[in-house]
Amino acid sequence: MRSMSGDFSRSIERMVRKIIELRAFVEATLDFPEEEGVVVVDERCLAKQLVAIRTDLQHISSLAKQGNILREGAQVVLLGAPNAGKSSLLNLLAGEEVALVSDIPGTTRDTLRQVLQIDGVPLHLIDTAGIRETDDILEQMGIARTRRSLEQADVVILLVDESNPVHIDYHALMDGAPRSVLIAHNKIDLASKPAGVRNEDGVDHIFLSVKTGDGVTDLKKSILAAVGWHREEGVFMARARHLDAIGQAIYHLSDAEQHIAQLELFAESLRLAQNSLNQITGEFVPDDLLGEIFGKFCIGK
Amino acid sequence: MQASDKFDVIVIGGGHAGTEAALASARMGCATMLLTHNIETLGQMSCNPSIGGIGKGHLVKEVDALDGAMAAATDEGGIQFRILNSSKGPAVRATRAQADRLLYKQAIRTRLENQENLWLFQQAVDDLILEGGGVAGVVTQTGLRFYARSVVLTAGTFLSGLVHVGQSSYQAGRAGDPPAISLAKRLRELALPAGRLKTGTPPRIDGRTVDYSVMQQQWGDDPAPVFSFLGKAVQHPRQLPCWVTETNAHTHDIIRGGLDRSPMFTGIIEGVGPRYCPSIEDKITRFADKSSHQIFLEPEGLHTNELYPNGISTSLPFDVQMNLVRSIRGLENAHILRPGYAIEYDYYDPRALKRSLETKAIPGLFFAGQINGTTGYEEAAAQGLLAGINAALHAQEKESWTPGRNEAYLGVMVDDLTARGVTEPYRMFTSRAEYRLQLREDNADMRLTEIGHKLGVVGEVRWRAFEEKREAVVREEQRLKATWVNPNVLAEADALRVLGKTIEREYSLYDLLRRPDVTYDGLMTLPGMAQETATEVAQQVEISAKYQGYIDRQNSEIEQQAAYESMALPATLDYKAVRALSIEAQQKLNQHKPETIGHASRISGITPADIALLLVHLKRGGRTKAMEANDAA
Repeated sequence: MRSMSGDFSRSIERMVRKIIELRAFVEATLDFPEEEGVVVVDERCLAKQLVAIRTDLQHISSLAKQGNILREGAQVVLLGAPNAGKSSLLNLLAGEEVALVSDIPGTTRDTLRQVLQIDGVPLHLIDTAGIRETDDILEQMGIARTRRSLEQADVVILLVDESNPVHIDYHALMDGAPRSVLIAHNKIDLASKPAGVRNEDGVDHIFLSVKTGDGVTDLKKSILAAVGWHREEGVFMARARHLDAIGQAIYHLSDAEQHIAQLELFAESLRLAQNSLNQITGEFVPDDLLGEIFGKFCIGK
Repeated sequence: MQASDKFDVIVIGGGHAGTEAALASARMGCATMLLTHNIETLGQMSCNPSIGGIGKGHLVKEVDALDGAMAAATDEGGIQFRILNSSKGPAVRATRAQADRLLYKQAIRTRLENQENLWLFQQAVDDLILEGGGVAGVVTQTGLRFYARSVVLTAGTFLSGLVHVGQSSYQAGRAGDPPAISLAKRLRELALPAGRLKTGTPPRIDGRTVDYSVMQQQWGDDPAPVFSFLGKAVQHPRQLPCWVTETNAHTHDIIRGGLDRSPMFTGIIEGVGPRYCPSIEDKITRFADKSSHQIFLEPEGLHTNELYPNGISTSLPFDVQMNLVRSIRGLENAHILRPGYAIEYDYYDPRALKRSLETKAIPGLFFAGQINGTTGYEEAAAQGLLAGINAALHAQEKESWTPGRNEAYLGVMVDDLTARGVTEPYRMFTSRAEYRLQLREDNADMRLTEIGHKLGVVGEVRWRAFEEKREAVVREEQRLKATWVNPNVLAEADALRVLGKTIEREYSLYDLLRRPDVTYDGLMTLPGMAQETATEVAQQVEISAKYQGYIDRQNSEIEQQAAYESMALPATLDYKAVRALSIEAQQKLNQHKPETIGHASRISGITPADIALLLVHLKRGGRTKAMEANDAA
């Protein structure tokens, strides 16, 4: 695995070079229309180069996302009815006793955080107080925190007591946020159901027993898939702001594709795409671009 | 003669920078004296006989929007007008004209002679009078003393000018004019940071000895466009064509054979020449695989046979020049009227200037034009205008004015010069402007005329014409926004013809105009939609409708940047005291003393990390290490 940030910078610099080369052609066409030395760019050639750059950048983005997961990890929130076994699951995944476990519903009053690794991916697992109406002030405070944790979650695991299903409207809690949801059906040993994974409407339902350990491997796999981890060669260690910058660049390149026939708008989108990547590589000034143009073309009557 | 020896503003130099500076200062009501070594050469085009082009045309329109002379003089002296890049979009579209040197010069001279508050005087300037650290006036070559609150120096290539033809060289301001040696020496004593640049011109050719029949003819656009917002095509004199030919392998052999006697290639010339305007010997050396280079023969005027062969600027020895010219198709029997030459001259590092073009070292002294390391008539005129405005403001004890990078090419140029300096003669290109989509020729008046009027540099005639146009644009925009096209009323054939498809609901004309493939003219052909509108008004409405989205996006970029632009850096700040700043950054910042954080960010070698450190330093109240040491003790 490539983990050096130097590799990442170098690939971004390569993409910036390619954008600069393309810009040199476009800007030369705009600033020196009468120079015979300037190769007139045709639209098909522009489109081809543009798509090549965008595709490469998308690949880098994907590698960087993996690296970002390895670097930053993911926030996983455990949610479920009181006594569904959230703390037990947390302990099982973490391999140690971190949460106070008892049979009395509502024992976990605080959100508990545990950092653990599955397949090398760091996960910030957050055990929450159960969601239910309560008069207990302490528990109410816990529930307020639960809602806050949810706002930051990448993945939410809903833990359901398969032996004693209680209807809770979780959908209200899921509102809008771009996160994955897994539904873990616990205590299949008591409900006499087999372990396994079923996908319904794009949501994984994992049947397991924390007590016997059946189905826990399936849950781990589902968690990794949900955080977006898929082992890939040559992962880049990148920061979240780098990912944002690449995303912006891809957006501007797609925009450029819409404007191939309007050269000055095409040029503007390329400029913005390069600006986005410059947030990673550092500053670039118009004079450098002119240097590129004068190096390439014989300009000057 | 002049009323006294006291003026508000003195301008030294009568080229494109000096004349615009003097006219601007006088328009603003300042008693202004223009000193030139020769009144006959006021407004002289000393290089190619053309004005405008891409980026440069933009500057000319801006000068015009501020009521300067260049565009109007070109309308009166232009013998060929073209719009370049017309198909590539309004922002990169630009006007260019070939000008008759005499007519152009005459147009400028007439304006100078008839400008209220302006006095012309023929005397070379040898020295500056300094009082209390600031400038107080000038001393001429015969010892005459003139006093003023502000002095604008526009010495062009005349400061220690050195002309090269082959191995021989002589001191000159340009071929045929004396250089300004004493003034250069005096300026060197003032220890302003100076450097040496180089530029060149081609040999001029006698048109009677040219065989046009083997060349391609190139006429201007028909109908001919105008340069000035107030211009009319009827002002144009008779129009002429240019002629196109090219160099060949034989030409290149001749040039290569002469390189051992080239002042460029033998190291006699030390000044740095521009990358975009190379000599022909440069071109065949750097692009050795090219077997020919185009040459445009440009007429110098209506009443002369002299031609300017654009594309073969050279400082090779005269015998080589002769042979290379005669190796070119159509020029086999050409007679050279004047040899080509290279000229080296002093320039002052523009990083020693404020953005008002006032020198940081000597209050009241302004520099404009080629002396600041630029090249081109248009670049000079625009700087001259700005220096004239600020010299007048300084004399009136008012705050200086400089447009931002998002307001004008003039702003881009001044910011580039003062923040980054020059490594070669600086020429304007549209790719230098990050906000190019809004810095268009067509809206130069919308961007600048109102502020110009407030500054007092725009006269009443232009102001009234501008107000009328602006109101017409607003009215037409309102009409388009209030006029609805109903799908039930719009005939399918009309919809397909004008919009390319039918509409499913009601749209305003303005909404329809924003679509990429819909034109204003097209919309006006829909039944009942037409209304008489001036072309420039319709054009303004159409472009702003289509570009609004882009311009909004750029505006948000500008807003982000604006915070930095308004964050002032005290001139007294010692950058050594800024914690964690690299030695290189400390030195650069101490050397340039940028005026704002934005300015600092554009100094070459200053990284975003340096800027972050500066911001932290400002937040901490600019506390020095010494103060911290005191606290600790």
